[in-house]
Amino acid sequence: MTEKQNQETADQKLVGLLAQFEDPGSLVRACNEARESGYNKIDAYSPFPVHGIDPALGIPRTILPFFVLIIGLTGCAVGLGMQYYANAGDWSPLFPGYNFMISGKPFFSLPANIPVTFEIVILSSAIATFLGMWALNRLPRLANPLHRISRFKRVTNDKFFLLIETKDPQFKREETESQLSQWGASVVEEVNEDLTDQQLPSWLQLAGLMTALILLIPPVLIFRAEGMTSRKPRLHVVPDMDWQEKYKTQTLAPNLGDEQHPNFLFVDGRAMQEPIPGTIARGDLYTDSEYFRGIKSGTESFATISTAGVHTGLQDAAHQDDSHQDEAAKDKPAEPAKDDPAAAPEPDWVTQFPANVHVNQALLERGQRRFNIYCSVCHGYAGNGDGLVNARAMALAASGQAQWTAAKSLNDPETKKNPVGRIFDTISNGRGTMGPYKSQIPVEDRWAIVAYVRALQGTGIKPTTMTKAVEKAVAE
Amino acid sequence: MATTVEPILDNTIEDPEHRAPLVLGGLDYAGVTDKVCSVWEADKAPKVWWLVLILAISLLMMLGACIGHLLMKGVGVWGNNNPAYWGWPIVNFVFWVGIGHAGTLISAILFLFRQNWRTSINRAAEAMTIFAVICAGTFPGIHIGRVWVFYWLFPVPSEHLAMWPNFRSPLLWDVFAVGTYFTVSLLFWYMGMVPDIATYRDRAKTKIRKMVYSLLSLGWTGSARGWHRYEAAYVILAALATPLVLSVHTIVSFDFAVSQVPGWHTTIFPPYFVAGAIFSGFAMVVTLLVPARKIYGLQQLITIRHLENMNKIIMATGLMVGMAYGIEFFISWYSGVAPERFAFYNRAFGNFSWAYWIMVSCNVFIPQLFWFKFFRTNTIAMVVICIFVNIGMWFERFVITVTSLCRDFLPSSWHYFHPTGVDVMMLIGSFGLFTTLFLLFCRYLPIIAISEVKNVIPVKSDEH
Repeated sequence: MTEKQNQETADQKLVGLLAQFEDPGSLVRACNEARESGYNKIDAYSPFPVHGIDPALGIPRTILPFFVLIIGLTGCAVGLGMQYYANAGDWSPLFPGYNFMISGKPFFSLPANIPVTFEIVILSSAIATFLGMWALNRLPRLANPLHRISRFKRVTNDKFFLLIETKDPQFKREETESQLSQWGASVVEEVNEDLTDQQLPSWLQLAGLMTALILLIPPVLIFRAEGMTSRKPRLHVVPDMDWQEKYKTQTLAPNLGDEQHPNFLFVDGRAMQEPIPGTIARGDLYTDSEYFRGIKSGTESFATISTAGVHTGLQDAAHQDDSHQDEAAKDKPAEPAKDDPAAAPEPDWVTQFPANVHVNQALLERGQRRFNIYCSVCHGYAGNGDGLVNARAMALAASGQAQWTAAKSLNDPETKKNPVGRIFDTISNGRGTMGPYKSQIPVEDRWAIVAYVRALQGTGIKPTTMTKAVEKAVAE
Repeated sequence: MATTVEPILDNTIEDPEHRAPLVLGGLDYAGVTDKVCSVWEADKAPKVWWLVLILAISLLMMLGACIGHLLMKGVGVWGNNNPAYWGWPIVNFVFWVGIGHAGTLISAILFLFRQNWRTSINRAAEAMTIFAVICAGTFPGIHIGRVWVFYWLFPVPSEHLAMWPNFRSPLLWDVFAVGTYFTVSLLFWYMGMVPDIATYRDRAKTKIRKMVYSLLSLGWTGSARGWHRYEAAYVILAALATPLVLSVHTIVSFDFAVSQVPGWHTTIFPPYFVAGAIFSGFAMVVTLLVPARKIYGLQQLITIRHLENMNKIIMATGLMVGMAYGIEFFISWYSGVAPERFAFYNRAFGNFSWAYWIMVSCNVFIPQLFWFKFFRTNTIAMVVICIFVNIGMWFERFVITVTSLCRDFLPSSWHYFHPTGVDVMMLIGSFGLFTTLFLLFCRYLPIIAISEVKNVIPVKSDEH
């Protein structure tokens, strides 16, 4: 009945005695006997949970449910907090929350946030149950002396086992063995722990170290890339939107048909449609005519309203098309037909600054800075029409290399008579050969420039058409 | 330990004096182990297994090719178009998620109700759940268009996107519900399988098998303390999975019910969807287990009584679904809302009425055959009925999704839905994915919960 070899060599350490039973009933009986005999380092092994084994072995109730309860409640708080942070909180400087404005509904309303909270509670509790159960069972365990016993393989099939450990104070090698046989064990066997293979083999340790080092390479590369600047575009694993077949705005769409049956995206061959005449884009409805157009309110025509907004690229393109048709007009140094005063009557310009433009020191200083950036290159810092671009262009024009209409001096007596609305309009839409600046300069800055121009005109600087430098250049 | 050969009893007869046996042929502990392990220990898999596997893998490859095509070309390869932006991909998603529900019902709800007959079918049903959820997750996964940024579905801090998901959206609830469902089902399935994997480990002959099953079984010894905590964990997981399974299809139904489309905006959807899900899931379990028990000779473990019980559940849930169809019509009439009335009139008599009547025939009329014991206990008859049930349940989702969208509030955009070849191939391909996974599971993992079945064998010792 008992195992013969009893030698406890230096390599082997006795862990306990394993007794085999043939049916669950005798196992439970033996467990009861063992517990009543005073053993407490005992455990039973069976192919399925045996009824009545817990009291027989004196197994206390597991703490697993409390652990799961705590994790589940934590999951509830974290789930709710996460939703509040992500949808209703925007205080964080890093990754702030994003408030979805949907039909004016509150950003955080409990009923709508219940489903996700519920799922997170279930998820966290289930993971806690799963991991907690294995942790309490001290599993996974890679090596167990029990698995070295061939007879123990039937524990997952049809045999029942009882192990009394040597750690038990009651354990006495021979006495315990006879007790186990007495309680109905069919076989009693020693369980020995092999001490020779306590350490991992060195090749496995080396392989583990190598794997760890190799796994470090990708994060190192990522951190290196994070700390570096590059002139090339970022690496896209999937090229995303760059990769799509699409027409770019402001381009011609290719003819998908043939010569006889052309098939364009739109009738005019563009990849993008022009707005319907008379429509105004959102935010482009400038009702305050005095402020946005420099024209007295109530006097502006429909044409001035519809074209007074910021030019879209398409409108500009359309105007270019117009000038294309008239080749002669292009060569003419004179003003284009659209600005011909005879074609359109002069609007009723405002003569006073609009009510919401407050002329003060700050506005004038702002105007000075904007003027020096945008205007002085042609009109000169004092507004005498002697900017550097003008000077150079005049020189080129004098030698016949360019055509140039001299920049106006703002201090001409005639120019000084212009009302502020007209100056505003000139900055916005250009005049003569001067281009429009409304796409570069915001409305309030244009009014600031107007105020500064008025200030320049009031300083009494002598109207000189050209500086000496320009005269000299022309002479050469 | 050889199994004593006894004539297979008819355990479908209700005898008030005895509990009907759930394991036939007088199998003892070793007999059960040998029986289940024979599936895995056979040197060669059955020819049918190979044939079906080859077919399934070719269908799976077709699915892969379709997904590749979709990724290259975009979602335009599907029939989804204005106004039916939810076409077959969503129909397939709801169909597969529904299939999964039977597995959790068997493993969790029947466990809590101490229905011992669940023991020999729960493992395969749970596996079916997981594979069905994988199929289900594929469809919304590829429906999002830019699949490579799928992680935007999750609350991941992102500098690139600079925004978070909208937690008030049913579609986001779906991400959490299906994600949780998959994770919990997987944990439940794996945890339940560990003792049986340990059986495989202890019987493994080759070195590779020994190593793989040793790792998978986590060093399980079957100690009493281990079983104690294991059983506690099993009860907790069952108690968690029970509300979870009800919540999943409820939330799937919210995808529809929270919107305002006539025919979708109804409060009956959550219970009606859950009943339908269990209905289709049980039909799938029967469809899978009848051939499996035949091929692997498991008739003593998966008995006619097990199948009959499932057929009874199919009939019960089928009646619930039928009642829901009726209530929907009543409420649409009773509400007095013209678009609602039109939506339901259009379902039954509109341009998709053919789909509606396929649905009603398969889901309501055909399962009535289960009132007769012959159909409940004849394996061929029940498989045929169950296949009809699943056809009907697929059409139910199609009817709900497509007929409602094709007749929305704006008559100028009304349209007829036409699926494309890619749509059809993806649906067929998803069956390839499902079948491949299920066949591999049958071959390499214990398809019956060995340790649980041993618990329902009558104890022969003098105690108990």
